Amino acid sequence: MNMFGTVLNVEEMDAIHMQSLSILEDIGVRVPSEKVLGTLEDVGATIDWQEQIAKIPRELVTKSLSLCPKTFTLGARVEAKSLALPGKISSINLDGTGTRMRDFHTGKRRDALLDDVAKAARVFDAMDVGTVLWPPVVARDVPTRAAGFLGAATAFMNSGKHIQDEIKKEKEVYYVEQLLTAILGSREAVVEKKIYSATYCTVAPLSHDKEMLEGTLALTRLKAPVLMYPMPASGSTGPASLYANLALANAEILSCIVIFQATTPGTPLIYGAALGAVDLRSGAYLEGGVETALQLTAMTQMGKHYGFPTIVAGCLTDAHEMGFQTALEKTLTCLPLVLAGCDVVQGAGFLESSMTLCLEQILLDGEILELCNRMAKGVDTRSEKALMEEISRVGPGGHFLKEKSTRQLFRSEEYYMPTLSVREPYESWCSLGSPDMICRAREQVERILREEPAQPLSESVGKAIQEIMEEARENL
Amino acid sequence: MEAIELLEMMRKAVLEGEEEEAVKMAHEGLEKGMSPQEIMDKGFLPGIREAGELYQQEEYFLPDLVCAADAMKAALEVINPVLKKEGKTGDTGKTVMLATVQGDVHDIGKTIVGAMMTANGWNLVDLGQDVKNEEVIRAVEEKSPHVLGLSALLTSTMEEQREVIRLLVEKGLRSQVKVLVGGAPVNQDWADRIGADGYAESAVAAVTLAQELLR
Repeated sequence: MNMFGTVLNVEEMDAIHMQSLSILEDIGVRVPSEKVLGTLEDVGATIDWQEQIAKIPRELVTKSLSLCPKTFTLGARVEAKSLALPGKISSINLDGTGTRMRDFHTGKRRDALLDDVAKAARVFDAMDVGTVLWPPVVARDVPTRAAGFLGAATAFMNSGKHIQDEIKKEKEVYYVEQLLTAILGSREAVVEKKIYSATYCTVAPLSHDKEMLEGTLALTRLKAPVLMYPMPASGSTGPASLYANLALANAEILSCIVIFQATTPGTPLIYGAALGAVDLRSGAYLEGGVETALQLTAMTQMGKHYGFPTIVAGCLTDAHEMGFQTALEKTLTCLPLVLAGCDVVQGAGFLESSMTLCLEQILLDGEILELCNRMAKGVDTRSEKALMEEISRVGPGGHFLKEKSTRQLFRSEEYYMPTLSVREPYESWCSLGSPDMICRAREQVERILREEPAQPLSESVGKAIQEIMEEARENL
Repeated sequence: MEAIELLEMMRKAVLEGEEEEAVKMAHEGLEKGMSPQEIMDKGFLPGIREAGELYQQEEYFLPDLVCAADAMKAALEVINPVLKKEGKTGDTGKTVMLATVQGDVHDIGKTIVGAMMTANGWNLVDLGQDVKNEEVIRAVEEKSPHVLGLSALLTSTMEEQREVIRLLVEKGLRSQVKVLVGGAPVNQDWADRIGADGYAESAVAAVTLAQELLR
């Protein structure tokens, strides 16, 4: 059977759901947009216009949940790279909105640049297990107000995969539409193919951001999928118990569902989460702790409990450099999510609580996810795997190297062959210069960046995108 | 079937590790009047060489190589008697003899080394497992291999590697054969201490080392 990981049983998930309903009904959420508050009032929410609080009755939540499509495809510029949701296995995404870069050549920290987005997109594009690409850093060498859009355009120019980004204000949507139309040829194709989706972050506790909300709602006129992404940190922006923090985060998600379905019914929504914790001494936001892993696994379960596709933060670390702590925390914040059936684990490539991007780490995290996926597949006990004939043929004292099933299974999903892990015997390894996984990842990054992109945009589309980028740089 | 087609099928039979097919092709080639030398040089040898290359390129796994080596061995068993009748030999001039030492029944490592050596053009004499020390000495006397590989998995049996080498010295045979040792508990220090010519930590390393020692 497959290997499963759960931290909540059905009764516990129902209890969290009920608490979330109570939070929305009795306490409500802050929605600092008169337009959206008006819509919510129309569908049955009680509005405190002074405080901009919407109290949402549970029946409205239930009705909104029923309007959400539960299966859809995140399209990609290169169609073969599309991701049908829910996925059969977990795949990986980078994170977004980092600000620093671990320079590939010097190893030192510096501000992130637009070229870093391009390079990260190329490395990510070459990694099979990567499906959804969030431009990982906010470039500091372009105007701040345009950095988000320019990052998305740069990601499209350097990767054929699905691009996911934040809409920070409504004005960006015009440029996103121009960009997608330049790539796909028509608005109809943009609506149909869904090669772009938005991450929508709530503001913990229980609040929405006016500009991001109105911007993301504007994007839904293109029927773009939206990832709902609450981020309460237990003990600071969220209550201190993991249980309560889950109920709060889930309430934020349910409020998103009500808002998006009230505004644009049928909007494809993805259940996400990036819950954290707080360092008890310094107050620093922590991503790599086991409490984070528990919360994110629970949120993955909640998303699946409702029947949504899930994209959840994982493969995270608070460490500053690649190494033991990074591997430990990333594995601990990845494996349980994969075992809970998370569609996309979001967080590859980052160090320092998702603030610093590292190109080598993108590939290292890809390998972590692949190993976790193999774990999740478990032991296949179908009768064809019993191999009784082989056992009988070889008998006591022989070997199975020559059996046809051995040759077949070595090439099947029965075995995962890592590409970065060190498996050579000691002396062979020494003769190669004793490379560790990090060295191997560096070599692969160098190779990827040396090679031509696999599926580049046509020259004319590339030129059109450059023009749109120029205009956005001036006007956003 | 055209000769060229037949040679291609021979190459493929070995490359794909199809033992029965290799034997069938060897017989067909001979029946069609092809020379055994041509069958080897243009049929089977390119197949085994390609298998070795694919392994080096990480396209082939160990089981693929073991199957290719066994298909090669099966084809040789058909071709060799004919070659001998013609006063020739089918071998490539290099013979490796392998044995898992006395008291040790673990022979998978040795089998893999054998496959790898075969894939690299060596003639293989595999004495098997738990081979008495005297038997090894007798076989070396009789067959005069260029290289003798002694495998031991247990710390309790690795001493037999030292004993075989001592017996080779005692019988005056030591200078005529290069002795390689291998196995999980063995390392270069051990090889040096017992007077072996070399230690190889993997099957690939064993081939490289054997070739270097004969240079």
